[in-house]
Amino acid sequence: MYAYDTYDRTMVDIRVAEFRDQVERRVKGELSEEEFRPIRLMNGLYLQLHAYMLRVAVPYGTMSGDQMRKLAHIARKYDKGYGHFTTRQNIQFNWPKLSETPDILAELANVEMHAIQTSGNCIRNVTSDQFAGATADEVADPRPYAELLRQWSSFHPEFSFLPRKFKFAITGAATDRAAVKWHDIGLIVKKNEKGEIGFEVLVGGGMGRTPVIGKTIREFLPEKDFLSYMEAILRVYNEQGRRDNKYKARIKILVEAMGADEYARQTEAEWEKIKNTSIDVPAEEVARIKAFFIPPPLEVLPSQVQSVDDFAKKNFLFSAWLKNNTNAHKVSGHVNVTISLKPHGGIPGDATAEQMDLVAALADEYSQSEIRVSHEQNLILPHVALNDLPTIWADLDEAGLGTANVGLLTDMIVCPGLDYCALANARSIPIAQAITRRFDDMKRLQDIGPLKVKMSGCINSCGHHHAGHIGILGVDRKGEEMYQILLGGSGAEDASKAGILGPGFDEHGIVDALEKVVAVYLGERLEGEEFLSTYRRIGAQVFKEAVYDAA
Amino acid sequence: MAKKINGPQMVLANRLDDGRAVFLTRSGSWSPDTALAAYGEDAALDALLAEAAKSAGENLVVDPEAIGAILKNGVAHPAHIKHIMQAKGPSVRADLGYQAGFDWETK
Repeated sequence: MYAYDTYDRTMVDIRVAEFRDQVERRVKGELSEEEFRPIRLMNGLYLQLHAYMLRVAVPYGTMSGDQMRKLAHIARKYDKGYGHFTTRQNIQFNWPKLSETPDILAELANVEMHAIQTSGNCIRNVTSDQFAGATADEVADPRPYAELLRQWSSFHPEFSFLPRKFKFAITGAATDRAAVKWHDIGLIVKKNEKGEIGFEVLVGGGMGRTPVIGKTIREFLPEKDFLSYMEAILRVYNEQGRRDNKYKARIKILVEAMGADEYARQTEAEWEKIKNTSIDVPAEEVARIKAFFIPPPLEVLPSQVQSVDDFAKKNFLFSAWLKNNTNAHKVSGHVNVTISLKPHGGIPGDATAEQMDLVAALADEYSQSEIRVSHEQNLILPHVALNDLPTIWADLDEAGLGTANVGLLTDMIVCPGLDYCALANARSIPIAQAITRRFDDMKRLQDIGPLKVKMSGCINSCGHHHAGHIGILGVDRKGEEMYQILLGGSGAEDASKAGILGPGFDEHGIVDALEKVVAVYLGERLEGEEFLSTYRRIGAQVFKEAVYDAA
Repeated sequence: MAKKINGPQMVLANRLDDGRAVFLTRSGSWSPDTALAAYGEDAALDALLAEAAKSAGENLVVDPEAIGAILKNGVAHPAHIKHIMQAKGPSVRADLGYQAGFDWETK
C-alpha cells in the first residue's frame, strides 16, 4: 500500500488546521453560510436532510486494517455507530456534528486518510478494480497510476474549479469491474506488441440525468506520457466546458457537442504543446510508487483443499458463499473474498463499527492487512489462503456479514435515497429491503444467476440505475414516491444504457414488477444464458407485456 | 426559481451545529417538533421568514425556507415527502431513536 511521505503528511495536516480555524470562525459567526459552504464542501462535508454528512476518501478503494479500525472508531465516537460505503469506493458518515468534524479529520490524518476533494467541482477520488493487484486477469496493477493521479490532482490549482465535478476510473483487467466506460475519464491499462505498458483512454462517460457511455480517444497512450495527456484532456474541458448551466457542465456534454473525434484532436493539439514540459514524472518516481504495490509474497499452494471441499458439501450456505463470494487470485491456493454488505433486509453498503472492527481483524490475520472497497458497495479481503475460508466465513456469518449473494439479484447497488440525501426524490433503502426480503431464498437466487440490480433515488444516478441489468429509479410524482423500472444496462466492458420499460409503480408495485421481469427471464432463457444476454436477445417487449398487461 | 406554493406554509431550516431539521416555532425559537411550528400565508409568512433570516444571521440555523404545510386540528404538518422525512427522520435503522419516528402508513 502507498504510505504518505513528508509532503503528503504536511499537506493534510495543514488542511486540517485550516479547516479547524474555518469551523471555529463559522460557529462564531465570522463566516456566513455562503462563505463557509464552498469551504466545507472542499473538505467533504455536506449538509443533508437531517444532519451533516462527511465523505471520506478511500483512494482507489484500498485501505489497511488500521485505517478500517479508525473508521470504526469514528463511527462509534462521532457518529451513530455505522458508516455507508459508496459507489465511489468512499465511506460516508451520516451524523457528524459540525464542531467535531476537525477532530474527525485530525483522527483520519493520523492514519493517512482525508476527505479532501470528495466534493466540489474538482477531480474526485480515483476509483479502480477492487481486485487490482490480486487477480489473474489483469495486465498490470492499475493502482500505481491511480496513486499518480491522486498526487497530481490533489490541490491542482488549474483544476480546482472545473465547470463540474470530475471522476476517473481505471482498470488493469479485461473484465471491467470499475465501470470505466461510465466515467469522465476511463482508463484501461494495456500492453502493446512490444510488451510496453500503456492506456486506452476514454472520455465523456457519465450517468446523471444525461447518461452517456465514454468514447475511446486514444487506443494506446504510452506510460511515460500519462499525466501530460490527462492534463491536456482536462485543459480542453476546463476551457470549453459549460459554466452557464450545471446540468450541461459535465465533460460528457462537451464531448457529445463537439464529437469525440474533435475532442481527441483538440486534446492531441494541447498535448503537443505540453508533453515535453515537466508534467510527466520521471521513470524513477513511477518505479518508486510502483514499489508500494508489489504483490505480497504468497506461498504457492494447492488449488484445492479437501477440508474446505468437505465443509462445503455439508453446509449449503458456505458452499454458496464459496461459489459467489470468492474469486481466483493470481497465486494458486488463494482467493479474494468479497464480504457482502447486502444482508437481506439490511441497508446496502452500511457497516457497523463492530463489523468494521471485525473486517480489520480478519484483514490483519488473513489478508496481509489489506481491505478493498468495491464500487458495488462491498468489502474485499484480497490474498486469502483457501484453507482459511471456513474460519473466515464463520466469523463473518456470526457478525451478519456472511450473505452469499455477491453478483446475484440481492447484491444491489443502492444510493442512500430520501432517507438521508437532500437531492433525492424517493427513498431507495426500503425498496431494497423489500426486494431482498422477497428474494431471500438462496437456492432461488442461485437459480436466477448473475444479475445486477441498481437503484437510485433520483436522476443524479448515484445508484447507477442506467448501468443495471435491471435499474430502478425513484421519482417524485406530485409529492409521492414512484419507481420506474429500466432494463438492459451494463457497467462492465460491454457497457450499455438501460431503457425505461414504462410507467412507474408505487413502493409495493415496483417489487412485484421486478419479480415479473425475473419470471419472464426464467421462462425465456436458453441453457446457461444470463439475464442480460436473454434481454439483448429477446428485447424489451415481452418484459413490457408481462409487467404491464397483468397489472 | 422555487415553485410557488399556495396555502399555509411553515419555515424549515437546519440547525447550525448538528444539521438537525428544525421548524420556526410560534414563540420564535426553533424546534424539531412540528406541533410547535408557526405557519402562515402572505404577510404573516413574510414576517416568519424575516424572523428566520434573523436567526440565520445570528448563526442559529442554516438555509431557512418556506415549505408547504397541511393543517390538521390547527397543527401544521409538512406536505411534501421530503419535508415529512426531515421532520420524522430516516425511515430506516429504527434502533437509533430519532430515526425510529417514521410511520409510513400514517404519513
